[in-house]
Amino acid sequence: MLKAKVILVSLGIALAIPQAMAGSTPEEDRKEAVEYFKQMFPDVPFEEFVNGQYALNEDRRKQWESMQDFPPYEFAVAEGQEMFETPFANGKTYASCFENDGIGIRQNYPYFDTKKNEVITLELAINRCREANGEKPLRWKKGAIASISAYMASTSEGKPIDIKVPDNPDAMAAYQDGKEFYYSRRGQLNFSCASCHVQNPGKWIRADFLSPALGQPANFPVHRSKWGELGTLHRRFAGCNNNVRADPLPAQSEEYRNLEYFLTYMSNGLPVTGPATRP
Amino acid sequence: MKKPLLTIAISLALSAPLAVQAGEKEDFEELYAKAQSTHKDAGTFQWTVTGDRLKAAKSAADNGEHKKAKTMANEALKLAEESVAQRKKQQEAWRMVAIGN
Repeated sequence: MLKAKVILVSLGIALAIPQAMAGSTPEEDRKEAVEYFKQMFPDVPFEEFVNGQYALNEDRRKQWESMQDFPPYEFAVAEGQEMFETPFANGKTYASCFENDGIGIRQNYPYFDTKKNEVITLELAINRCREANGEKPLRWKKGAIASISAYMASTSEGKPIDIKVPDNPDAMAAYQDGKEFYYSRRGQLNFSCASCHVQNPGKWIRADFLSPALGQPANFPVHRSKWGELGTLHRRFAGCNNNVRADPLPAQSEEYRNLEYFLTYMSNGLPVTGPATRP
Repeated sequence: MKKPLLTIAISLALSAPLAVQAGEKEDFEELYAKAQSTHKDAGTFQWTVTGDRLKAAKSAADNGEHKKAKTMANEALKLAEESVAQRKKQQEAWRMVAIGN
């Protein structure tokens, strides 16, 4: 009997230790994050988190609602559609590079490409499509790439974000890298992304009202009043890093793509709302 | 005073500032190289202010202001050391605050 107990206890320990060392799964992280924000903002419906600060601050929401009569990104979306549909020099279009001809697919980006072993963001896919068709890549943070991305996002409006982390060690490593980046303090001001968007959403930092991490990538690309134009998510990452006096990394660097992968996974189930406006 | 002695004294007096300046230039170059290498060691945790100080130090040195350049390179080195310490600390510290760990 004693021998059987010892065997059972040993077996239990042997099974439990690797589980504990492996850390939580992406889905466990996501569920815990959703619960965390629900507890922090019990009056905010889950789907409202995509509206960031407008879901938390009544004054900001009123300003935003009045802007929605004539959203400042409309011309860029129309321009993006025109570019998306205009054939390259070889006669092909962007549609040839994407599933479902590139329509209604925003909710699946970024994804992990198990053949190339890297995270593919929508903007990366747009530029790779151009290069595959003999065109020069576009600049990453604003301008044409933001317009094309905005048009593609608009065709996914309302579709729930559906990011997958495949059962693959490289995909899991990319997710974990993004998570580590998100929670690591950086810069002379010693802030992490989480310092503002997990620990202090709903509060003011100087003149900025902090939005929650949940739902943030659903709005991109965004038209910021500060920029006076559309910009991509990586432009925003660089701006945040710069604000805390950390050297920004290049847009579409592996670090920023992994960060986008983690952050977007956290918003799974929330609707795509991009493009959107922000102060 | 004898003439040869006077000549030596004047030569020494005139060359002293040049010697000090040469020492400052070497000190700057050593500090600057160390600050640059430490800044690089911070990897993805580099601080913008360190880069700014390095640029300012280089600019001062290019203008022959080696004392000022040395001071700025020293400031850059201290900032770079703090960013390296931040990188090392965050390798584990991030887990303490992460949701799902």
